[in-house]
Amino acid sequence: MSFKDVIDEEEREAYMLCNEAIVRAALEADVQLVSFYPGAPQTEILDNFERASNKYDLRIEVAANEKVALETVAGGAMLGKRSLTSMKSVGTNVASDALYTLAYTGLDGGCLCLIADDPHAHSSQSEQDGRWFGLTAYLPMLEPSTPREAMEMVKKGFELSEEFGTLVLIRTTTRVNHQSGIVPLGPMDRTPFEKVSWKDMKRPYTSVGELARKGKKEMLERMEKIREKMADSSLNRMEYFDGKKLMDEGGSEEEVGVITAGVAHSYTVEALSRLELSAKILKLGVINPMPEELIRKFCEGLDKVVVVEELSPYIEDVVRRLVEDVDVYGKRTGHLSEALEYDIPSVIQGLSEITGVEAPFDYKEHCRKMKKYAEILPQRLPVFCAGCPHRATFWALRRAVGDPDKVFFANDIGCYSMMCLPPIQWSDTLLCMGASMGVAAGVQYAAEEKTIAVIGDSTLFHAGLPGVVNLVHNEDDVTIFVLDNAVTAMTGQQSHPGNPKKAGGREGKKVEIRPVLEGIGVEKIYDISSYEVKDNVDIIKEALAHQGVSAVISHGECALYHFRNYRHAGGELVPYFIDLNKCESVHACVLNFMCPAISVMPEEDGKARIHQDICVGCGVCSKLCPKGAIKSTATMYGGDDKPVLTVEDHEEYQEKKEAEK
Amino acid sequence: MKGTNIILCGIGGEGLVMLSNVIGEACRLAGKNVISGEMHGLAQRSGSVIVHMRIGEEVLSPLIPPGEADMIVALEAMEALRYLYYLKPGGVVLTNKRLVHPPGETHDLVTKKIDKYVEYDEVVEAIKEAGVELQEVNALSLAKKAGEVRAQNVVMVGALCSALEGVIPRDSIIQAVKGTVPEKAVENNVEAFELGVDAYRD
Ligand SMILES: Cc1ncc(C[n+]2csc(CCOP(=O)(O)OP(=O)(O)O)c2C)c(N)n1
Repeated sequence: MSFKDVIDEEEREAYMLCNEAIVRAALEADVQLVSFYPGAPQTEILDNFERASNKYDLRIEVAANEKVALETVAGGAMLGKRSLTSMKSVGTNVASDALYTLAYTGLDGGCLCLIADDPHAHSSQSEQDGRWFGLTAYLPMLEPSTPREAMEMVKKGFELSEEFGTLVLIRTTTRVNHQSGIVPLGPMDRTPFEKVSWKDMKRPYTSVGELARKGKKEMLERMEKIREKMADSSLNRMEYFDGKKLMDEGGSEEEVGVITAGVAHSYTVEALSRLELSAKILKLGVINPMPEELIRKFCEGLDKVVVVEELSPYIEDVVRRLVEDVDVYGKRTGHLSEALEYDIPSVIQGLSEITGVEAPFDYKEHCRKMKKYAEILPQRLPVFCAGCPHRATFWALRRAVGDPDKVFFANDIGCYSMMCLPPIQWSDTLLCMGASMGVAAGVQYAAEEKTIAVIGDSTLFHAGLPGVVNLVHNEDDVTIFVLDNAVTAMTGQQSHPGNPKKAGGREGKKVEIRPVLEGIGVEKIYDISSYEVKDNVDIIKEALAHQGVSAVISHGECALYHFRNYRHAGGELVPYFIDLNKCESVHACVLNFMCPAISVMPEEDGKARIHQDICVGCGVCSKLCPKGAIKSTATMYGGDDKPVLTVEDHEEYQEKKEAEK
Repeated sequence: MKGTNIILCGIGGEGLVMLSNVIGEACRLAGKNVISGEMHGLAQRSGSVIVHMRIGEEVLSPLIPPGEADMIVALEAMEALRYLYYLKPGGVVLTNKRLVHPPGETHDLVTKKIDKYVEYDEVVEAIKEAGVELQEVNALSLAKKAGEVRAQNVVMVGALCSALEGVIPRDSIIQAVKGTVPEKAVENNVEAFELGVDAYRD
């Protein structure tokens, strides 16, 4: 149910999120070294390991990016330590340079890399299908459907990795990572972390030219051996659905065959049950190397085989290659989609069209009818939190720029990406982490407008720095905005190299942004405090006027992070309020600001209101109000009209409050 | 294969995941199979959040198909209406008596793209019009009464417990609540739970 279960030593069942279950399984398997860069839908793996590292003896890093994380765990595996990393789909692009070569060198210790795809792009910039990494890199890949299977595959993955001396990939999708269910907790047989002698296990992990050619040969032989070994793995299983119930075997040749993997398996079985359709099912757990013999055997004698898998026709095309005399249905026949995630209705529709069995319920019509009632609703899109420093920085930036059409605005990936959403919708590009720097380089050659590029601190360290080096070296004309909020906010406020804390909340060394930029040679650097919106407008104007590379570093801790720490340290929130005698409904506090703590009261006076339970007291709105109508509630108790943001501010306020009494 | 299906919905950052954890844990304690599918990520920033909960021996999919939920439990009324399409015909909507205007709506109002906010009564009317059973709970006032304003979600757990009589035993839910909330808040939360139970019965 929670982290408590992840580290509970009792052997029992627990209700767990798949990401928690993965951590549990890896701990049970005595994992010794883990490293991650956060990213949905796998971030909870990092979060739970951070907490577990306070109890168990293991080495953990929040790495600067996914490539560094993979290289780190590979390093551990070279010394025989069981090690694990996980990354979101697109994180694998960053890590793939190391990934492909590690397949050539092999690894002697057990090493797992989990790739978490995001069909439907719920929280990603694309629907990338990570299964191709396994195939094209010649690495074994397992795919679970449930938390329980994920646990089993983590354990088997380590064994497979050690037996064949290779990195092993586990592929999940959002609906697996964020699925909770009942899982068994096994024994925690952990060994203490100990250094070992490199001399004793030494062998070259080098790959180039002649060595690479040799490595390739070994890699191909290794995959062949794995193919043989996994040919009858229990991770692939045949099932029979008799129209009502799922069973281990049964069925005849007249029936439909379905080949499926991952969460699509669950949709398939439930779709069959609603169609009351019987079918033979082959559920694949090993998706590289594919169990070709098993697939042939399964298809033998069948007339129709349907392949149900999300995203690309990865399995389907293999099945087509392997079998003759069988009609294969799926994406290539237009019955199932290559886009978006599946669910029970979408699989029902496909199966119904293929088999001619009528769907029992018109889901589309039902949705159309019911959604009509909801048409009166406004959208509820994610917004910057109350007190978010990004909101303040963007307000000042927008004022400094004036007309958004006067600039090319290269945005990047982080909470600030939300600028591209309605109603503000201000961003010209948003590609992938660090891309704002590179895109800006190209744009500034061609655009008449000034080019500005925004990047968060975590993203700067992750993949932005080469782009900055490039801008400086080429003497490009771009103003960079670095949003220094101390954490990787978007994914849940994890630490990064610019935070004084490292993984597990332990003291680390903070990498300062300004000296890094200075060292690279950025000509003009301005440090601003995010909340000082009015002052910042002129500073930003100056930065924008500079010809060449200039940088504005906006400092302001993520509000969720800051005020959580503030409260833990004994601080209390001191919200702001609207002085209704002064408010003239000009709504400066609403326009292009959109704080969740502020709404208006149209039925009364049209004036704004600040929700006392949401406001954190950053005071930025009070600076925007031309009528001076927004004040700190501190003024009601003898305090000053200024934000209470630190424990020191709070103490000072408490004293004044006492004195007033 | 359908089991008991519940949609939990609300606004990011309001303790919806905690609510689902309590139900899930209660099912485990009662020896019931349970699966849930939740949406994290972008939804956290005051966005709309939904969790699918499925209880029963044979359920497999982490997503409830539209039109098959037995019940929708909403921590905010607009979200109940937003996800109404998940409810089966004649299903039950259990909503907190509360409306939170998204900042985008306020922005649209001030820039005159709309001429008024959506009102609570309109939302409730729309839900009723759809022909489903509606139960409202004033979770805020009950949470306050229990001495813990933050326990609105636990009040809703209580109401849900009444609604689910026969599916999950009440003792298991109370035990799960106790195991989930911070130790010093246990008493107030149990009180909030009981008030929720009664609110649904009335
Ligand atoms: C390669 C890659 N890894 C991880 C992610 C997931 N992700 C989305 S935004 C973000 C980080 C944002 O941090 P920062 O730039 O500091 O912005 P903040 O959210 O703190 O404002 C991450 C890691 C991603 N989109 N791409």
